[in-house]
Amino acid sequence: MAARRRTWWVGQRISWLLLATLGIAGSAAVAHLRRPAAALAVPANFPALVYEVAKNQPNEATFELGRQLFYDPRLSSDGTISCGSCHQQSRAFTDGQALALGVAGRRSARNTPALQNLGWHRSFMADGGVRGLELQALAPLTSPQEMNEPLADALAKLNADPEYRRRFAAIYGPGKIDTPQFLKALAQFTSALISADSRYDKYVRHEPGGTLTAPEQRGLALFQQKCSGCHATDLFTDESFRNNGLDRTFPVDSGRAHISQLPADAGRFRVPSLRNVARTAPYMHDGRFATLPEVLAHYAHGVRPSRTLDPLLRQPDGRLGLPMSAQEQQALLAFLNTLTDNSLLTNPRFAPPSVAARHQPTLAGVGR
Amino acid sequence: MNNRFPTLLGLLVLPLALFSSCKKDSDTLDSTGSVNFTVRNVAGAQDLALNTTAATTAAGEKFTVSTFEYYLSNIKFTKADGTTYAAPDTYFLVNQEKPASLSFTVPGVPAGDYTGVSFLVGVDAQKTGLTDPVTFTGDLNQANNMYWTWNSGHIFLKLEGTITSTTPSKPLTCHIGGYTDPNNAIVTAAPAFNGAKLTVQAGHTPQLALKADVTKVFDGPNPVALSTFTGAHMPSAQSVQLARNYAAGMFSVEKITTE
Repeated sequence: MAARRRTWWVGQRISWLLLATLGIAGSAAVAHLRRPAAALAVPANFPALVYEVAKNQPNEATFELGRQLFYDPRLSSDGTISCGSCHQQSRAFTDGQALALGVAGRRSARNTPALQNLGWHRSFMADGGVRGLELQALAPLTSPQEMNEPLADALAKLNADPEYRRRFAAIYGPGKIDTPQFLKALAQFTSALISADSRYDKYVRHEPGGTLTAPEQRGLALFQQKCSGCHATDLFTDESFRNNGLDRTFPVDSGRAHISQLPADAGRFRVPSLRNVARTAPYMHDGRFATLPEVLAHYAHGVRPSRTLDPLLRQPDGRLGLPMSAQEQQALLAFLNTLTDNSLLTNPRFAPPSVAARHQPTLAGVGR
Repeated sequence: MNNRFPTLLGLLVLPLALFSSCKKDSDTLDSTGSVNFTVRNVAGAQDLALNTTAATTAAGEKFTVSTFEYYLSNIKFTKADGTTYAAPDTYFLVNQEKPASLSFTVPGVPAGDYTGVSFLVGVDAQKTGLTDPVTFTGDLNQANNMYWTWNSGHIFLKLEGTITSTTPSKPLTCHIGGYTDPNNAIVTAAPAFNGAKLTVQAGHTPQLALKADVTKVFDGPNPVALSTFTGAHMPSAQSVQLARNYAAGMFSVEKITTE
């Protein structure tokens, strides 16, 4: 009644306070919280960030909390699956499976996407159904095929854990751990997963180590000619939804149409980035291609017609796909391998916290 | 020199401010009141009891209800002269399982005699389309499980149960939502006062007792046959049809009491 209304108001006030707190977190008393996560600088060859970092100012303590959450299997219904179960660092945060494996051996309907440069996404998931970086985490958390955990249950687990309560309180102040704090902390980790230091990046930025071999350069030229219509900019995606000719009909997964309910969107899926593509096998939204040569062969001579097939895959002479000789495919492969970025794949900062602890000098070890 | 002007201005303004603030306070005291809403969920002539009541559609098909939840938002009051007052930030989640949610209060309603009320069944597109979780507090919190995590946006109405008039019986799932064309399921309900008046005045909290008939999800401008109904789980043309049903006939005003 009136009390209910008041609670609601207080809740809203607190959340605005929280926002303010985020902005000024620890300006004096907890200066270490202010230490920015350097990884959120925009690389010179990238477009502007989409994610509103100002509403979730990066700092080391929140990043570390986000990392703890990311790798905590207790957040799944049976305590077996963490975000990191399917999003494995060495595979650019994919899992090597055609379809993601969730609790109790359940298979999700789609291939695990790589996690990188998420701050540049305008939408998330292969069908673009999720509209923000922070909201994204809710999808795998609550999906019965993935972590199978209702949000309220996840929050209850966090609130029952004294260590989490202490860490959240140190950042957001006293009080219950609620949805915004949980999602914002997680987003500090996921938004920091930036890939911008592959050999290709160094090549375009004219940095040391930025050399491409002759075949790789041939591959780059071919890429710009045949692939960059969709895999555009140095993010290697234009973020559009396209039908790349995998099937003639889409009875199992209609992709973007599942969200929009528009027939024109049937079979259209989000164009994935190709960063670290050599590490993210298998490929396509359903993981149907095990290797990159299979992917290239699909574009060369496997494209199937349908009403929504992307126009870029129809040649003026009526042929489907992207005509490519075997030699050209070899060159493209060579180029795609230059997109592997060890600064993401091996950085101990992004590893599970316990593993990382072994890599980082402890206070006791500093003197030695 | 430079300082004198603000001081003089201050001297001038101070009494004005005192006067006007006094006036304003008394104005505010006299000119607004609260309205208390109560909702009684029913199935036809019976009170709705979860998992027990046998609800019957106009076509004679039967179902029981295990979950019945919906958002009422953007509450607007109308006077006889057609002027309206839209109460800001009014988002209420009514959940049959939680008795406390069957009553809520809208404060700050300008004093006067109102002859009508309207509200969205659901959440407006502007609000539900936001992406910063900080904006979803209280009843809008995604932890209330009235939010599609795979297709960002609130579920406006959730009706779950069992269709019992089929052999065998089958699960009933209606999750209605969607806020973009062509499957925008945001609908407005405006249950008639039937000549009654809602008198708002300071120091009183009149009560507007609403009744919500769950069978009207399927009866109305777009009758749905439960025998062939396969459920609603996402924004879709069918969800919009069901939303138009409950907008048209689910809510009625039972009683208006001024005390």
